[in-house]
Amino acid sequence: MIEGAPIADLSRVGVRFGRMPVLRDVNLRIDPGEVVGIVGPNGSGKSTLLRILATLLKPSIGRAAVLGTDVLSEGTLAARRQIDLLGHHPGLWGELTLLENLTFVARLAGSPTEKAERALDLVGLGGAKHRRADHSSHGMQRRVEFARVLLTRPRMLLLDEAHAGLDKAAQALVKAAVEDVQGREGGVVLVSHEPDRMLPLVNTTYHLEGGTLHDRTGMT
Amino acid sequence: MSERSYRALSLVAVVAVAVGFGFAMAAPPERIQGEFAKIMFVHVPSAWLAFLAFGVTMIGGAVWLMKKTPIWDRVAASSAEVGVFFTALALLTGMIWGYPVWGTFWDWSDARMMSTAIMFFVYVGYLALRRSIPDPETRARRSAILGIIAFVQVPIVYLSVTLFRTLHQGATVVRADAPIDPVFLRALMINLGAFTIVYAAFMAWRVRLARLEDELEETEAVADFDIAGSGITAPNLGEVPGDV
Amino acid sequence: MKAGGFWQQAKEIARKDLLVEGRAGEALYITIPFGAVALMLIPLAIGTDRPLLAEVGPGMFLAVALLFGMLVAFRQTAADTPPQRELLTLLGTDPAAKFVGRTATSTLLLLAFEIVLVPVTILLYNPGRIPNWPWLILVMVLLAGGLALVGTLAGSVTTGLRTRNTLTPLLVAPLSMPLLLGSAQVVEALRREESILPWITLLATMNLAVAVIGVVTARPLEESSR
Repeated sequence: MIEGAPIADLSRVGVRFGRMPVLRDVNLRIDPGEVVGIVGPNGSGKSTLLRILATLLKPSIGRAAVLGTDVLSEGTLAARRQIDLLGHHPGLWGELTLLENLTFVARLAGSPTEKAERALDLVGLGGAKHRRADHSSHGMQRRVEFARVLLTRPRMLLLDEAHAGLDKAAQALVKAAVEDVQGREGGVVLVSHEPDRMLPLVNTTYHLEGGTLHDRTGMT
Repeated sequence: MSERSYRALSLVAVVAVAVGFGFAMAAPPERIQGEFAKIMFVHVPSAWLAFLAFGVTMIGGAVWLMKKTPIWDRVAASSAEVGVFFTALALLTGMIWGYPVWGTFWDWSDARMMSTAIMFFVYVGYLALRRSIPDPETRARRSAILGIIAFVQVPIVYLSVTLFRTLHQGATVVRADAPIDPVFLRALMINLGAFTIVYAAFMAWRVRLARLEDELEETEAVADFDIAGSGITAPNLGEVPGDV
Repeated sequence: MKAGGFWQQAKEIARKDLLVEGRAGEALYITIPFGAVALMLIPLAIGTDRPLLAEVGPGMFLAVALLFGMLVAFRQTAADTPPQRELLTLLGTDPAAKFVGRTATSTLLLLAFEIVLVPVTILLYNPGRIPNWPWLILVMVLLAGGLALVGTLAGSVTTGLRTRNTLTPLLVAPLSMPLLLGSAQVVEALRREESILPWITLLATMNLAVAVIGVVTARPLEESSR
């Protein structure tokens, strides 16, 4: 990837589910080291936008390039390994323990498995690592996801309502994860319908309403 | 295609079937099976068209996967539906013929009948899959793939049953392996042509219907939702009665 | 950071699936007893004539292995939830590796299922000694593999659908007909001391064909599960 090239670049992106338009004419550029916040009411298309950035969804029209490759082109497979998305529901297997979940991720990502244990210690779950994921609270599961971010160290981090379900101590994790990616010249997108907690972290805020992205404040 | 050409095609199909029926009636009775053999004029074309229809389903699906244009998905879906109809017709006429000639409705050692029956259920599954997927693109993609799997499976099923049959010579009374009377063959070919026109007419109407269904779905979707989030407003708590 | 290759990924998926199934016990504690009960019900339906039962025993075993084995092949624990699917995608998992890994787990579970059903069949049906019976071990492996392949493939076609639990068996049953026919004919051929080669070839061909289709269609199918 070329130095200084944008982390993500959406141009005139539109999405329809079936025939129902969800996003319309969205332009968004995320530069290295930039932290973008997107606010908007329920059902405004925030999660859809994140899924496009995560290369999980192809735009119906327009062009979306992430980490230098077009979304869902041949190069996407490599780009995907550098993206992490923390969605509404944690991507964990309930029957596995927290450590087994993270070890599985480490193995697929090709990182040493000892790192999984260390990452759990870092997020404060060292004492609960042998607990099954479906016996853990939502906040604990969220912490495991942040441990995953520490483990895989993505170049682009996408957080959907990242603060939801986290206690005060755990909220420092959001900050740490965001700053880590930012420090490595990566890109971060935070999405929320309650912007108060996320605003201190972001450089640029956009407002998403009616499927259209409005540039609200340039805070840099 | 204009409204008139749809009607013209249907008319041609009706005339063709009538002509085919005439030739079938005029054909001499078969030496051993007598008039029963005439059910072949329906049975054989139906079976052939079933294969043709499912072949078209596979091709439609494959082209859709390459081009992603809705028309190919409609062609694949319509052809599968018409194919299931002809498969059912082939099975039914086969059984009606089988009872007087073989002495049983169902001959377990007949490779063609067995494979046709299996094919029938595979494509019933295909149609059930289509009904289960609301999103048009997902539906098109998955059914295209299933359409290809199903058609690749046809020769394997046929092969396995043929193998089954050749190793277990069934106790069948008559096999239609003897040379066919040219008059009989001519009538069969005419019926084959007539049924193919019927297939074309069914397809034309069915694909048009599919297009109209898509358009209706689109109109309803746009009317209902317009744009994401637009149907959602702030809760109007002032109007909620106190006891809710 | 270097991610694992194709076989490494397949191995990890298989290992994870086995672990999940081991904890959930869906195949072990639910489907296996269910299959055994089915083997008990059949004699009650067709009559408890001993020579007849001895005759149909192997066939009943195969029918039950196929019909109930399907439940093993697309057990709930083999289906990922949307967040789990997305995680695997973002970890760069090759959908074909997922197909291979999942099929491997299902094959192992189906073999275990068949192994439990064998003594149940022998005890209930007393089918007598089949000449050269060790060949049946190969048949069991090919049947388990073939059913796992067809089941996993059909499972990915129906991923995320509300009708999944009823639709998948409808897709699998007719498609797996060559497996049933091939296996049943091996038993017949062994009993009559005839050549089993054509039937073994058929079973192997079926396994190979579905494996190829499954690997080739894995990626286009994955794209649609979003």
